[in-house]
Amino acid sequence: MKVNYEKCGYCGACVGVCNCMALELIENRIVIHNEKCNNCKSCIIVCPLNALEE
Amino acid sequence: MKMLLKDSVYDVVVVGAGPGGSMASYYASKNGAKTLLIEKSQEIGEPVRCAEAVPKLDEFNISPSKEFVKSYIKGGYLIAPNGKRIEVKGGKTEGYVVERKIFDKYLAMRSAKVGTKIAVKSRVVGLHHDGNLFNVKVSHLGEEYTVKAKVVIVADGVESSVAEMAGLKSKKNPKEVCSCAEYEMTNVKLLDNSMMEFYFGDICPKGYAWIFPKGDTANVGLGVISNNKKAIDYLNEFIEHPILEGRLKNATPVEFKCGGAPVGGPIKKTVDDGIMVVGDAAGQISPISGGGIYLAMSCGSIAGEVAGRSIKYGDYSKEVLMEYENRWKEKYYNILMNELKYRRILQKFNEKELNALADAMDNMLDEIDVKKIAYRAVKRAPSLLKYFKDII
Repeated sequence: MKVNYEKCGYCGACVGVCNCMALELIENRIVIHNEKCNNCKSCIIVCPLNALEE
Repeated sequence: MKMLLKDSVYDVVVVGAGPGGSMASYYASKNGAKTLLIEKSQEIGEPVRCAEAVPKLDEFNISPSKEFVKSYIKGGYLIAPNGKRIEVKGGKTEGYVVERKIFDKYLAMRSAKVGTKIAVKSRVVGLHHDGNLFNVKVSHLGEEYTVKAKVVIVADGVESSVAEMAGLKSKKNPKEVCSCAEYEMTNVKLLDNSMMEFYFGDICPKGYAWIFPKGDTANVGLGVISNNKKAIDYLNEFIEHPILEGRLKNATPVEFKCGGAPVGGPIKKTVDDGIMVVGDAAGQISPISGGGIYLAMSCGSIAGEVAGRSIKYGDYSKEVLMEYENRWKEKYYNILMNELKYRRILQKFNEKELNALADAMDNMLDEIDVKKIAYRAVKRAPSLLKYFKDII
């Protein structure tokens, strides 16, 4: 999973649905721990701005 | 601030300085507990992810100060796809639209006045119970500190990571999270500057679009559950939609906000040994309106009070803290579960059915009584019975 920082509104909706704790919002930056990601795509679904990409 | 974090032991540590966390810390401090409120952002109240409407705050002894109240709200218009407006006034629909950046800081300062210490730009990165106390690992300006706490109150919002660190399941199902986007705009022609506007239908599947008066501006936004398009795409269509009759023609944004509203009902377990979860993290948010400030404040108050008293007793086990879960559930559980049921029904309506429902309702209501509305709607439009048979 990748974040398009040009699109991201750093709202944290993606963090709230990430069961694997692979996402973190640090100030205004989403950080992805890809080693924890199970590719469930929940984050892509909830993102209001289409900022997450595979 | 390093002094607050270095080798410190607190009675109560509250994670997240939103309305829930600030109320929890207020009551913990007021009940005599040595309390630390931790906020990960460098500014409390930022970034705003919300439409900023709050019901009346009398219950909390908070007077509606000009400092944060931008508009007084008497009610709202529910607007069907065919344009039919239903006016709802009084009761729970009365309240304010606030400036969250100021409101959240106000609540944090109110808590500080009764003794709460606050650490900002401080992020909880680990939570571990050593059998007696919680070790709360906090990252602040690149350094890690371990703060000890007898009780931890988790109010970290939609992100819901901190309760998860302690083994409580707080992450949400993406199909039950409303994806929200909003422009705060100026030069908006409102229907009425003390009324909120709610729009339903294909402009915003499984959610609604809103225009909330906010002083010289208005929050124009929506929350949607959809696989087809993103909230931002729906929003850009909404602001040009003919149903608004050109009322946004001269409007221009002064701020953009987005967020996720966990509208799937409360999480199963909000208490464990030494820990309580409040607010959005606990799913304490109206499944129909997506409003969560009032619930977070109310449940946060209970959690703070229970925490404070547990410190006095010297027993902060799950059994003692369970008073929090029992009390918030007694107050809100049935309401939330009913709303969840109603939302799941409303979500199934197509535009034709939404219009039929609206046409079956009076032009003016004094309160939203779903049972009454369902009954009357079916009486006038019997085709709606298939949705409402479980309610009536």
